[in-house]
Amino acid sequence: DPGAVVPAPQNLSVHSANMKHLLVWSPVILPGETVHYWVEYQGEYESLYMSHVWIPSSWCSPTPGPECDVTDDITATVPYRLRVRATSGPRASAWSALKPPFNRNSTLLLPPRMAVRKDGSHLVIELEDLGPQFEFFVTFWRKAPGAKEHAKVVRSVGFPVYLGAMEPGAVYCVKARALVRAIARRSAFSQAQCVEVQGEALPL
Amino acid sequence: EFHFGPCHVEGVALLELWKAFGAMKDIVVTQDKIMSVRLLKQEVFQNVSDAESCYLAHELLKFYLHTVFKDYYHKVVEFKIMKSFSTLANNLFVIMSKLQPRQENETVSIRESAHRRFLLFWSAFKQLNTEAALTKAFGEVDILLTWMGKFYRH
Repeated sequence: DPGAVVPAPQNLSVHSANMKHLLVWSPVILPGETVHYWVEYQGEYESLYMSHVWIPSSWCSPTPGPECDVTDDITATVPYRLRVRATSGPRASAWSALKPPFNRNSTLLLPPRMAVRKDGSHLVIELEDLGPQFEFFVTFWRKAPGAKEHAKVVRSVGFPVYLGAMEPGAVYCVKARALVRAIARRSAFSQAQCVEVQGEALPL
Repeated sequence: EFHFGPCHVEGVALLELWKAFGAMKDIVVTQDKIMSVRLLKQEVFQNVSDAESCYLAHELLKFYLHTVFKDYYHKVVEFKIMKSFSTLANNLFVIMSKLQPRQENETVSIRESAHRRFLLFWSAFKQLNTEAALTKAFGEVDILLTWMGKFYRH
């Protein structure tokens, strides 16, 4: 019905994990019509100094589905106001605003996935690449009474990081957590992963 | 993070500020026709003490956010650089908001020294017509970021 009002999208929320932010909402159903959505945002600066200013989202102006990856739009640790409207042909709905505004410091930081292995007599770890804002705090130790825990901050990922030499016959364990300076937060530690070095244990 | 003397600011990556400004610089600087004038002259930043740096950074950022960025926005829209502008403005806003320079009596002389430096910039700004001043000031954000970079710790 060309004259019918386009309802505004409802139930806006942001699902954010590991600094990836997805704005979602309930789809607008108009039988027989093609609906598109337009997403806009403003940071705290815009809302305080120029509240009339709204910036089109990088990937969702327009978008066909009821979701929008706003990660590239949220580029400061301040509250961001987000709004969505639906269109069908020339007709547009009212804007729906996300309430409360979203701040990336609320993102869910998950323990990082890692692979621990031996390379000869060396303890090696490989961490998942979560993007440039992530660093990793890695601790490793020899599984033995009174063994000292070592620590290392890993800034670049996507390739093996050598943690240290291992002694034959010993077991070494590793765990890691993610750090994000932009929001001054860190994740929980991952489960420890251990590897055993072949060969005879050296006499003490 | 930034260490402007006693004022520490976390949560802003200097690299992100440079990337945001870098995406705007070419189009902005080409609008500046007055090559013989520099607002953020060397004297503004020469021998700034750590103690002064918090006051000077706060005063400059406040002016830039309240006046330069706000009044230059029509050009930002014209040049279609809103996204980079938003990144830069919101991150500088975070820094300014977290800078809480102390206001006790014993800091009067330091504050006045920092304010004199700001006035060097401000008076040069006032001598140009508004549009030219806004264009030049916005184009000089790289000078501001270079100075701020001296107080940045990885």
